[in-house]
Parts: sequence; C-alpha cells; structure tokens
Amino acid sequence: MDLSLIIFVSMAMFAIGIIGVLVRRNALIFFLSIELMLNAGNLLFVAFSRQWGNQIGLVWVFFVLVVAAAEAAVGLAIIINLFRSKQVVDVDQYNLLRG
Amino acid sequence: MTIANATQWILAIVLIFSSLGIVLARKPVHACLSFLLTLLSLAVLYLQLSAPFIAVMQVLVYAGAILVIFMFVIVLFQDAHAQIDKVQANSAPLFLTFAAGAFLASLGFLGSRLIGIEASKDKLFEGYGSVEALGKALYVDFFFPFEAVVLLFLIAVIGALYIGKKEI
Repeated sequence: MDLSLIIFVSMAMFAIGIIGVLVRRNALIFFLSIELMLNAGNLLFVAFSRQWGNQIGLVWVFFVLVVAAAEAAVGLAIIINLFRSKQVVDVDQYNLLRG
Repeated sequence: MTIANATQWILAIVLIFSSLGIVLARKPVHACLSFLLTLLSLAVLYLQLSAPFIAVMQVLVYAGAILVIFMFVIVLFQDAHAQIDKVQANSAPLFLTFAAGAFLASLGFLGSRLIGIEASKDKLFEGYGSVEALGKALYVDFFFPFEAVVLLFLIAVIGALYIGKKEI
C-alpha cells in the first residue's frame, strides 16, 4: 500500500471539489462537488485507519456517509424550492439575500 | 510492481479524471455519471484498503441512494440547465484564476512533502473492517454519537419533507 499516493489523490479530489464549488454555476454540479469533497475526506479516513490499524477512522466514515445523505436530502429539497420560485438553477441568479 | 500496486495506480488515475469530469462536464447528467465512476472506484480502493463494509456502504448509500436523488432532480429541471449557458457569469474568471492558483500551489507544496511516507508494515488485527468489528465499535464505543447521528438524520428527513412542500 502506498500511502502517499492515496494522500495525493485525496488532495486532488478535494481541490477539484473546491474548484467545482467556486466556478460552476449549476446548482446541482455545485452540490456534486461538495459530495466529492466529502468523499476525499472519507478516503483519507480509510487510508489512515488502515495505516494505524485502528477502526475509529472507519466509524467516522460511517458518520460522514450519514451526514452526506442528510445533506443531500435537505440540499436538494432547497434547490427544488429555489427552482420553483425562480425557474433557474443558476446560483448567480439566487441573489435575494444580497445586501 | 505488484498487481496491488498497479491497481492502485490505475484507480488513482481513474479517480482524478472522473472527478475532473464532474467539474468539467457540460451537462449535469454527465457529471452525475462521472460521480458514479468516482464512487465505484473509491469502493474498489476501500476493498483494497481492507474495509469491505465501508465499500459496500459506499455503493449502497452513495451510488444507490444519493445519486438516484440527484438523477431525479436533474430530470425535474431539464430545461433550466440549458439556460445557464445563455446567461453571462458574474465573476467566474476571478474565481477561476484563484481556484486554479490555489489548486496548483497546494498540490505542488504538499506533494513535494509527501514523497517518502512509508506504509505501515504492521499486521492488522483479526477481523479488521468486518461488519462484526465495526458494529461492535459503533454500538459499544460510539453509542452516543451513533444515536446523535440517528437523530440528525431523522430531523433532516422531516426538514426535507417540510421544505419540499408546495406551500410552506
């Protein structure tokens, strides 16, 4: 097992997720990028759990999975509601709270 | 190079390209399929890292549940996705340069420090990552966090149902 390769992949996935959040304007791809970042964190948890022979990392992966599912349910409900009120999925157009 | 090593390299390449596919895809459906590829290769990687239960959970929860919700939502607003390209972005170039710069800087800096980390040679204990061992950890050592997460999920489901109603 090559730990540094896995750390590098996880870093790259997280950075790509950040780029997706910052650059893409489609609300759904915005959301997919957040899920990608959660997955990058999960990968590190599993890799280091394996490295130290300690199961606590795997338990945390389980918690992250549950939180990701909850986040997807609530977030997609919010996106659907936003779409109902404005008829667009472009996050630039959601500027109701802008001062 | 052993077979395990070669698979890891292949998986790493597939992971990076499929995550790039999520960000670069024009149509959201393609992004979703790219995400599916990411999830499946992550599951294979988890199997290789001796966490079979997590791999199964990954496929069941992510590919089975979360991605299906995404697909439903994409199908719901099919017309709206095409309209985005017609509207000018507010501030994309600035963010693009910032994000790309941060990406390259962090990868270069951290990557240069990562070379030479050795994987541990310790033998794992019997049953590491199995359903029995993980279940014992979840229900004995992490009982209260587990219950808290259950409560969180219940609240999230109720909230999603409430937000999703036609009139609030």
